[in-house]
Amino acid sequence: MRTRTLRFALALVCAGALLPSVAVFAAEPAGAASAAKPATHRVVIDGLKYEPEALTVRRGDTIVWTNKDPFPHTVTATGKFDSHDIAANGSWKYVARTAGDYAYICTLHPNMKGTLRVE
Amino acid sequence: MKKIGIVVASALFLAAGGVAAQAPNDAQIAHIVVTANQVDIDAGKLAEKMGSTKAVKDFGKQMVTDHSGVNKQAVALVTKLKVTPEDNPTSQSLKSGGQENVKNLKTLKGKAFDKAYIDHEVAYHQQVLDAVDKTLLPSAKNEELKALITKVRPAFVAHLEHAKMLQSKM
Repeated sequence: MRTRTLRFALALVCAGALLPSVAVFAAEPAGAASAAKPATHRVVIDGLKYEPEALTVRRGDTIVWTNKDPFPHTVTATGKFDSHDIAANGSWKYVARTAGDYAYICTLHPNMKGTLRVE
Repeated sequence: MKKIGIVVASALFLAAGGVAAQAPNDAQIAHIVVTANQVDIDAGKLAEKMGSTKAVKDFGKQMVTDHSGVNKQAVALVTKLKVTPEDNPTSQSLKSGGQENVKNLKTLKGKAFDKAYIDHEVAYHQQVLDAVDKTLLPSAKNEELKALITKVRPAFVAHLEHAKMLQSKM
Protein backbone atom coordinates (compact mmCIF):
# COMPACT_ATOMS: atom_id res chain seq x y z
CA MET A 1 0.00 0.00 0.00
CA ARG A 2 2.79 2.38 0.95
CA THR A 3 4.67 1.52 -2.25
CA ARG A 4 1.55 2.30 -4.23
CA THR A 5 1.09 5.69 -2.53
CA LEU A 6 4.73 6.53 -3.06
CA ARG A 7 4.55 5.46 -6.66
CA PHE A 8 1.45 7.56 -7.18
CA ALA A 9 3.12 10.55 -5.57
CA LEU A 10 6.16 10.06 -7.77
CA ALA A 11 3.97 9.73 -10.81
CA LEU A 12 2.35 13.04 -9.89
CA VAL A 13 5.69 14.76 -9.37
CA CYS A 14 7.12 13.42 -12.59
CA ALA A 15 3.92 14.34 -14.44
CA GLY A 16 4.46 14.89 -18.15
CA ALA A 17 8.16 15.65 -18.43
CA LEU A 18 9.44 12.36 -17.04
CA LEU A 19 6.81 10.06 -18.46
CA PRO A 20 9.26 7.31 -19.49
CA SER A 21 10.58 6.92 -15.94
CA VAL A 22 7.03 6.75 -14.62
CA ALA A 23 6.39 3.92 -17.01
CA VAL A 24 9.47 2.10 -15.76
CA PHE A 25 8.27 2.52 -12.19
CA ALA A 26 4.83 1.24 -12.97
CA ALA A 27 6.30 -1.78 -14.72
CA GLU A 28 8.07 -2.98 -11.59
CA PRO A 29 6.39 -6.00 -10.07
CA ALA A 30 4.36 -5.00 -7.04
CA GLY A 31 6.17 -6.09 -3.90
CA ALA A 32 8.44 -8.49 -5.84
CA ALA A 33 6.56 -11.30 -4.12
CA SER A 34 7.21 -15.04 -4.27
CA ALA A 35 8.98 -15.58 -7.57
CA ALA A 36 7.05 -18.32 -9.32
CA LYS A 37 3.97 -19.11 -7.25
CA PRO A 38 0.78 -17.84 -8.84
CA ALA A 39 -1.03 -15.30 -6.68
CA THR A 40 -4.68 -14.38 -6.35
CA HIS A 41 -5.62 -10.72 -6.61
CA ARG A 42 -8.93 -9.22 -5.63
CA VAL A 43 -10.76 -6.33 -7.23
CA VAL A 44 -13.88 -5.02 -5.53
CA ILE A 45 -16.59 -3.34 -7.58
CA ASP A 46 -18.30 -0.81 -5.34
CA GLY A 47 -20.18 2.39 -6.14
CA LEU A 48 -19.48 1.83 -9.85
CA LYS A 49 -15.72 1.74 -9.32
CA TYR A 50 -13.14 -0.98 -9.71
CA GLU A 51 -10.92 -1.00 -6.63
CA PRO A 52 -8.06 -0.98 -7.41
CA GLU A 53 -8.68 0.64 -10.75
CA ALA A 54 -5.26 -0.39 -12.06
CA LEU A 55 -3.78 -3.76 -11.22
CA THR A 56 -0.49 -5.38 -12.20
CA VAL A 57 -0.18 -9.15 -12.04
CA ARG A 58 2.13 -11.88 -13.28
CA ARG A 59 1.26 -14.46 -15.88
CA GLY A 60 -0.57 -17.36 -14.23
CA ASP A 61 -2.03 -15.18 -11.47
CA THR A 62 -5.75 -15.25 -10.77
CA ILE A 63 -7.87 -12.14 -10.46
CA VAL A 64 -11.24 -12.24 -8.70
CA TRP A 65 -13.67 -9.37 -9.23
CA THR A 66 -16.43 -9.14 -6.63
CA ASN A 67 -19.50 -7.00 -7.21
CA LYS A 68 -20.67 -5.15 -4.08
CA ASP A 69 -23.23 -3.06 -5.94
CA PRO A 70 -26.94 -3.95 -5.87
CA PHE A 71 -27.07 -4.54 -9.63
CA PRO A 72 -24.97 -6.39 -12.23
CA HIS A 73 -21.69 -5.24 -13.73
CA THR A 74 -19.30 -6.69 -16.26
CA VAL A 75 -15.52 -6.82 -16.63
CA THR A 76 -14.98 -6.59 -20.37
CA ALA A 77 -11.86 -6.09 -22.47
CA THR A 78 -13.32 -6.49 -25.93
CA GLY A 79 -11.83 -9.43 -27.77
CA LYS A 80 -9.67 -10.37 -24.75
CA PHE A 81 -11.85 -11.31 -21.82
CA ASP A 82 -15.47 -10.82 -20.81
CA SER A 83 -17.13 -11.75 -17.53
CA HIS A 84 -20.63 -11.10 -18.87
CA ASP A 85 -23.06 -10.09 -16.12
CA ILE A 86 -21.67 -10.44 -12.60
CA ALA A 87 -24.73 -10.39 -10.34
CA ALA A 88 -25.01 -8.31 -7.17
CA ASN A 89 -22.72 -9.91 -4.57
CA GLY A 90 -21.41 -12.27 -7.25
CA SER A 91 -17.84 -12.63 -8.40
CA TRP A 92 -15.88 -13.64 -11.47
CA LYS A 93 -12.49 -15.29 -11.65
CA TYR A 94 -9.98 -14.88 -14.45
CA VAL A 95 -6.59 -16.49 -14.87
CA ALA A 96 -4.19 -14.15 -16.67
CA ARG A 97 -2.35 -16.21 -19.27
CA THR A 98 -1.07 -13.66 -21.74
CA ALA A 99 1.18 -10.71 -20.98
CA GLY A 100 -0.06 -7.32 -22.01
CA ASP A 101 -1.97 -4.21 -21.00
CA TYR A 102 -5.71 -4.63 -20.95
CA ALA A 103 -8.14 -1.76 -20.59
CA TYR A 104 -11.54 -2.99 -19.51
CA ILE A 105 -14.97 -1.48 -18.91
CA CYS A 106 -18.40 -2.44 -17.65
CA THR A 107 -20.54 -2.78 -20.78
CA LEU A 108 -23.64 -1.90 -18.74
CA HIS A 109 -22.07 1.26 -17.29
CA PRO A 110 -19.34 2.23 -19.75
CA ASN A 111 -18.17 5.09 -17.54
CA MET A 112 -16.60 2.39 -15.34
CA LYS A 113 -13.02 1.80 -16.40
CA GLY A 114 -10.17 -0.36 -15.16
CA THR A 115 -6.82 -1.63 -16.39
CA LEU A 116 -5.05 -4.92 -15.97
CA ARG A 117 -1.35 -5.32 -16.70
CA VAL A 118 -0.09 -8.85 -17.07
CA GLU A 119 3.69 -9.21 -16.91
CA MET B 1 -42.31 15.66 -25.53
CA LYS B 2 -41.91 19.18 -24.29
CA LYS B 3 -44.89 18.61 -22.05
CA ILE B 4 -43.34 15.50 -20.50
CA GLY B 5 -40.11 17.34 -19.86
CA ILE B 6 -42.02 20.03 -18.02
CA VAL B 7 -43.86 17.48 -15.87
CA VAL B 8 -40.58 15.87 -14.84
CA ALA B 9 -38.97 19.23 -14.25
CA SER B 10 -41.82 20.47 -12.10
CA ALA B 11 -41.93 17.28 -10.05
CA LEU B 12 -38.28 17.58 -9.17
CA PHE B 13 -38.42 21.32 -8.94
CA LEU B 14 -40.51 20.67 -5.87
CA ALA B 15 -37.64 18.59 -4.54
CA ALA B 16 -35.08 21.25 -5.40
CA GLY B 17 -37.30 24.17 -4.41
CA GLY B 18 -38.08 22.52 -1.10
CA VAL B 19 -34.57 23.20 0.16
CA ALA B 20 -35.05 26.79 1.19
CA ALA B 21 -38.57 26.45 2.52
CA GLN B 22 -38.57 22.99 4.00
CA ALA B 23 -35.88 20.37 3.55
CA PRO B 24 -37.23 16.82 3.42
CA ASN B 25 -36.51 14.65 6.44
CA ASP B 26 -34.89 11.21 6.13
CA ALA B 27 -38.21 9.36 6.06
CA GLN B 28 -39.31 11.57 3.17
CA ILE B 29 -35.98 11.23 1.39
CA ALA B 30 -36.27 7.44 1.62
CA HIS B 31 -39.73 7.72 0.09
CA ILE B 32 -38.46 9.96 -2.71
CA VAL B 33 -35.61 7.51 -3.49
CA VAL B 34 -37.95 4.52 -3.66
CA THR B 35 -40.53 6.43 -5.72
CA ALA B 36 -37.95 7.81 -8.17
CA ASN B 37 -36.64 4.29 -8.77
CA GLN B 38 -40.12 2.80 -9.10
CA VAL B 39 -41.13 5.39 -11.70
CA ASP B 40 -38.16 4.41 -13.84
CA ILE B 41 -38.83 0.69 -13.32
CA ASP B 42 -42.39 1.13 -14.61
CA ALA B 43 -41.24 2.98 -17.73
CA GLY B 44 -38.46 0.41 -18.25
CA LYS B 45 -40.91 -2.50 -18.11
CA LEU B 46 -42.93 -0.85 -20.84
CA ALA B 47 -39.83 -0.25 -22.97
CA GLU B 48 -38.78 -3.89 -22.60
CA LYS B 49 -42.05 -4.84 -24.27
CA MET B 50 -42.68 -1.96 -26.65
CA GLY B 51 -39.21 -0.80 -27.69
CA SER B 52 -38.73 -1.29 -31.41
CA THR B 53 -34.97 -1.94 -31.31
CA LYS B 54 -32.82 -4.26 -29.25
CA ALA B 55 -30.89 -1.28 -27.90
CA VAL B 56 -34.06 0.34 -26.50
CA LYS B 57 -35.40 -2.94 -25.10
CA ASP B 58 -32.04 -3.69 -23.49
CA PHE B 59 -31.88 -0.23 -21.99
CA GLY B 60 -35.39 -0.63 -20.55
CA LYS B 61 -34.44 -4.01 -19.12
CA GLN B 62 -31.31 -2.59 -17.53
CA MET B 63 -33.32 0.25 -15.96
CA VAL B 64 -35.61 -2.36 -14.39
CA THR B 65 -32.64 -4.39 -13.11
CA ASP B 66 -30.56 -1.49 -11.80
CA HIS B 67 -33.35 0.52 -10.19
CA SER B 68 -34.88 -2.62 -8.66
CA GLY B 69 -31.48 -3.40 -7.17
CA VAL B 70 -31.22 0.08 -5.69
CA ASN B 71 -34.71 -0.17 -4.24
CA LYS B 72 -34.02 -3.55 -2.71
CA GLN B 73 -31.05 -2.01 -0.93
CA ALA B 74 -33.03 1.10 0.04
CA VAL B 75 -35.80 -1.03 1.55
CA ALA B 76 -33.24 -3.14 3.41
CA LEU B 77 -31.71 0.03 4.83
CA VAL B 78 -34.95 1.64 6.01
CA THR B 79 -35.97 -1.69 7.55
CA LYS B 80 -32.67 -1.84 9.40
CA LEU B 81 -32.98 1.79 10.50
CA LYS B 82 -36.61 1.25 11.46
CA VAL B 83 -37.62 4.23 9.35
CA THR B 84 -41.04 4.23 7.70
CA PRO B 85 -40.81 6.05 4.34
CA GLU B 86 -43.10 9.06 4.47
CA ASP B 87 -45.15 10.21 1.51
CA ASN B 88 -44.60 13.83 0.52
CA PRO B 89 -45.38 16.28 -2.31
CA THR B 90 -42.17 15.47 -4.22
CA SER B 91 -42.95 11.74 -4.22
CA GLN B 92 -46.51 12.48 -5.27
CA SER B 93 -45.47 14.56 -8.26
CA LEU B 94 -42.84 12.03 -9.24
CA LYS B 95 -45.50 9.38 -9.17
CA SER B 96 -48.08 11.34 -11.15
CA GLY B 97 -45.40 12.46 -13.63
CA GLY B 98 -44.42 8.82 -14.08
CA GLN B 99 -48.01 7.75 -14.61
CA GLU B 100 -48.49 10.48 -17.19
CA ASN B 101 -45.33 9.39 -19.00
CA VAL B 102 -46.45 5.76 -19.11
CA LYS B 103 -49.91 6.81 -20.30
CA ASN B 104 -48.38 8.86 -23.10
CA LEU B 105 -45.91 6.10 -24.07
CA LYS B 106 -48.73 3.58 -24.34
CA THR B 107 -50.26 5.63 -27.17
CA LEU B 108 -47.03 5.38 -29.21
CA LYS B 109 -45.45 2.69 -31.33
CA GLY B 110 -42.18 1.92 -33.11
CA LYS B 111 -39.70 4.74 -33.54
CA ALA B 112 -42.07 7.27 -31.98
CA PHE B 113 -42.19 5.16 -28.82
CA ASP B 114 -38.41 4.76 -28.76
CA LYS B 115 -37.83 8.47 -29.13
CA ALA B 116 -40.38 9.53 -26.52
CA TYR B 117 -39.10 6.93 -24.05
CA ILE B 118 -35.43 7.80 -24.48
CA ASP B 119 -36.06 11.57 -24.48
CA HIS B 120 -37.90 11.16 -21.22
CA GLU B 121 -35.12 8.99 -19.75
CA VAL B 122 -32.55 11.68 -20.55
CA ALA B 123 -34.67 14.41 -18.94
CA TYR B 124 -35.63 12.22 -15.99
CA HIS B 125 -32.13 11.09 -15.06
CA GLN B 126 -30.85 14.65 -15.37
CA GLN B 127 -33.55 15.91 -13.05
CA VAL B 128 -33.04 13.08 -10.57
CA LEU B 129 -29.32 13.88 -10.46
CA ASP B 130 -30.12 17.53 -9.81
CA ALA B 131 -32.47 16.54 -6.99
CA VAL B 132 -29.81 14.20 -5.54
CA ASP B 133 -27.18 16.93 -5.57
CA LYS B 134 -29.30 19.91 -4.55
CA THR B 135 -31.76 18.35 -2.13
CA LEU B 136 -31.40 14.71 -1.16
CA LEU B 137 -27.70 14.61 -0.31
CA PRO B 138 -27.55 18.02 1.43
CA SER B 139 -30.70 17.23 3.46
CA ALA B 140 -30.06 13.60 4.44
CA LYS B 141 -29.11 13.31 8.12
CA ASN B 142 -28.49 9.60 8.51
CA GLU B 143 -25.00 8.65 7.33
CA GLU B 144 -26.06 5.29 5.93
CA LEU B 145 -28.87 6.84 3.92
CA LYS B 146 -26.43 9.44 2.62
CA ALA B 147 -23.89 6.69 1.83
CA LEU B 148 -26.46 4.70 -0.14
CA ILE B 149 -27.43 7.70 -2.26
CA THR B 150 -23.76 8.54 -2.83
CA LYS B 151 -22.99 4.96 -3.80
CA VAL B 152 -25.73 4.71 -6.43
CA ARG B 153 -25.36 8.23 -7.83
CA PRO B 154 -22.78 7.13 -10.46
CA ALA B 155 -25.35 4.65 -11.79
CA PHE B 156 -27.69 7.54 -12.60
CA VAL B 157 -24.80 9.26 -14.38
CA ALA B 158 -24.12 6.09 -16.38
CA HIS B 159 -27.80 5.78 -17.27
CA LEU B 160 -27.94 9.42 -18.36
CA GLU B 161 -24.89 8.98 -20.60
CA HIS B 162 -26.26 5.75 -22.02
CA ALA B 163 -29.64 7.37 -22.76
CA LYS B 164 -27.93 10.36 -24.39
CA MET B 165 -25.89 8.01 -26.55
CA LEU B 166 -29.07 6.25 -27.70
CA GLN B 167 -30.77 9.63 -28.26
CA SER B 168 -27.92 10.82 -30.47
CA LYS B 169 -28.46 7.86 -32.78
CA MET B 170 -32.15 8.56 -33.31
